[in-house]
Amino acid sequence: MREITSLVRVVVALPGGDPHGTLEALEHLGPGVRVETAASLEACAEVARGADLVVLGGCPAASAGPVLAVAREGGAPVVAVVESGCGDAVVEWFRCGAADCVVAGADESRALASVAFEQIRRGRELRERRSVERRLRWLENLNTTIVNEIPAALAVVDAERRLVVANPAFERAWGAPLEGLAGRLLDEVLPADLLESGGIHAMLDRVAAGRPAAPAVARGVDRAGSPVALDARAQRLDEGGRLLLVLSDVTERESLARRIADLKRYNENIIQNLNSALLVVDVDGGITVANGMAAQILGEPGARLRGRSVWDWFSTARGQGALLARTLAQGTRFRGAETILTRADGTVVPIGISCAPLQDADGSRLGAVAIFQDLTEINLLQRQVLQREKMASIGQLAAGVAHEINNPMGFIHANLSQMEEYLADLRRVWDEVGILRKAVGGDEAAEIRRAADALGALVRELDAEYVLTDFVKAIRESQEGSERIRHIVRDLRDFSRTDSDERVPSDINQCLDSTANIVWSMMKHSVVLRKRYADLPKVRCYPMQLKQVFMNLLVNAYQAIEERVGQSGERGEIELVTERRGDRVAVVVSDTGVGIPPDMLHRIFDPFFTTKEVGVGTGLGLSTCYNIVRKHGGTVRASNRPGAGATFEVILPLAPEGEAA
Amino acid sequence: MSPGPATLLLVDDEVRILSALRRVLRREGYRLLTAETPEQALRILDEQAVDVIVTDQKMPGMSGLQLLAEAARRRPEARRLLITGWTEEVPREQIEALGIRAMIPKPWDDAELKATLRAQISP
Repeated sequence: MREITSLVRVVVALPGGDPHGTLEALEHLGPGVRVETAASLEACAEVARGADLVVLGGCPAASAGPVLAVAREGGAPVVAVVESGCGDAVVEWFRCGAADCVVAGADESRALASVAFEQIRRGRELRERRSVERRLRWLENLNTTIVNEIPAALAVVDAERRLVVANPAFERAWGAPLEGLAGRLLDEVLPADLLESGGIHAMLDRVAAGRPAAPAVARGVDRAGSPVALDARAQRLDEGGRLLLVLSDVTERESLARRIADLKRYNENIIQNLNSALLVVDVDGGITVANGMAAQILGEPGARLRGRSVWDWFSTARGQGALLARTLAQGTRFRGAETILTRADGTVVPIGISCAPLQDADGSRLGAVAIFQDLTEINLLQRQVLQREKMASIGQLAAGVAHEINNPMGFIHANLSQMEEYLADLRRVWDEVGILRKAVGGDEAAEIRRAADALGALVRELDAEYVLTDFVKAIRESQEGSERIRHIVRDLRDFSRTDSDERVPSDINQCLDSTANIVWSMMKHSVVLRKRYADLPKVRCYPMQLKQVFMNLLVNAYQAIEERVGQSGERGEIELVTERRGDRVAVVVSDTGVGIPPDMLHRIFDPFFTTKEVGVGTGLGLSTCYNIVRKHGGTVRASNRPGAGATFEVILPLAPEGEAA
Repeated sequence: MSPGPATLLLVDDEVRILSALRRVLRREGYRLLTAETPEQALRILDEQAVDVIVTDQKMPGMSGLQLLAEAARRRPEARRLLITGWTEEVPREQIEALGIRAMIPKPWDDAELKATLRAQISP
């Protein structure tokens, strides 16, 4: 008999009382047995669930239906205690489902214990068996569900590679329209190219021989004719040589992977073939991506750029990398800024650059993307255009300049022929001096006196004293005249020079003043020029370009005055003012000319917009001003003065954005 | 023509030009008056008679032509000559309307200048 060790629960119901000491008999079962007494059959039915044994007595079997039902369901055996001599009652209890009966009497206690133990053991066995069966059923269900619902196609084949069984996925993929897959050869069911490309037979051979086989990808076309890619795996199921073949559709996964690869290639193509240089840098400025154009502009093979520091080219010390540094540090983006980079060999390349911060999905900074173009050629073209415009404005000045040169030319020319005459006069005096010396040598007093008289007469006739004095004066005046011509030519040459690629610290007052000097000769007869210059710090700029701006504004002002005064002989006024405004300087050019028609105020900086007659203006003057000033990071504004005339205001930063002055 | 040396009034805003003209005409026997501005020239004309006025065309405030027009009102008998640089063009009609006797280019040829002036003085 098996030892009952765990706590055993016995439920007892004795509706007719306990005349035979049934409870006492049960108490003797041992300390591991807990006996619960139910007051009635109904109460017993409520607690019978989960009991190891139910003992009933003093009642007919017919009245114990509910208790018996609960006990049966819970797998608890029921033992009935019947009065001796009631054979019918025993039959009735067994018929109603009791597991055993004990006859009440003198040795009931012993019989009851023996029966109870036996029944408790059986009940336990029954419940265990039931539990195992339930688990088996559950596993079977799970298995069936998995096999039926899994999207992978499963098939079991025998040693001859005939299909034994297949799941619905397999049937859907390879069964219809032919019914009855079972018994058919795998070769008849799966397309040959699929079997071959996946090496499926070889795989099955390996697992049949008990060796492991790595999964493979089989490719072919499905029944609809579309290309498919299947992940194929095999497993030996039993000693009988039955094998499980699992085919999972990875077509979509593969096409996704291909699309990602395509996209990567596509991006790579765009980046590499971009007509601009592209650099991706990490937060410290380490280069992570560089395209071909970047390699070209930076002057290094692309393969060597990865991991290099971008600061090797954009020196922060010289302010070249200030904007990029700001993008990395603060996440600010900027577009179309102009700066320079320095190659390892010292070559300086002017570039136009845009930077944007690079962030991950959480918004934390990963670095920056910089796109830039080599401006060498553009700058060259721009310079040529500017130069042409400069030359054109010199053309406009030609008349004034010519007049300005003509005056000194006139008096130098006249003085020269006069000096020639003076020299001829003095030669005559010198000749007379020669005669006198000869006479002195001859030691004849009359001869000497005659020669001295002749010399004296000649000196008086020629007014030699005046000639000598005026000769010197004529030389001085001519020298001064040629000096004036030299200045005019120097100013013109100064004005027509071109800038270098780098900004240079320049004196804006000097730029304005030397430009005004050139224009002055043209306008001095009709204009009074007033200057009010403030003490200005040096401005980092392209001085030749700014001179062009000032020239255009001055010529404009002059033309506006000419238009107003015409031939009246009146004079207009141009005022030049410079002043410092915080970290900027302002250059203000005001005139008393005709002013700007209000409806044209917003258009005057447009390229090719002109109010002048054909041939007088190119319509580029003010738009050039606008472009040059903008390139310096400044602004230019036009307005009409309350009285008459116009004011142009150029505001320039002391240094380009992001750079120290 | 008044007796004694003929009086010439030379007008140019460029004092060096006046100085050069004086030099050239030093031996020509004229009485030379000079003015650096048209206003100064008009004041001289108000004060005294001159035989010939020689003026530069391009001057601040008032052009040579305007000055000659003014001079014609004040001293109609004075001969009027205009000096022009090679960049200023003066319309022929205006020259005739003002009765300008001769145009003198700048820079001038000394001999030509002297001959032109002599032609104005001799009857």
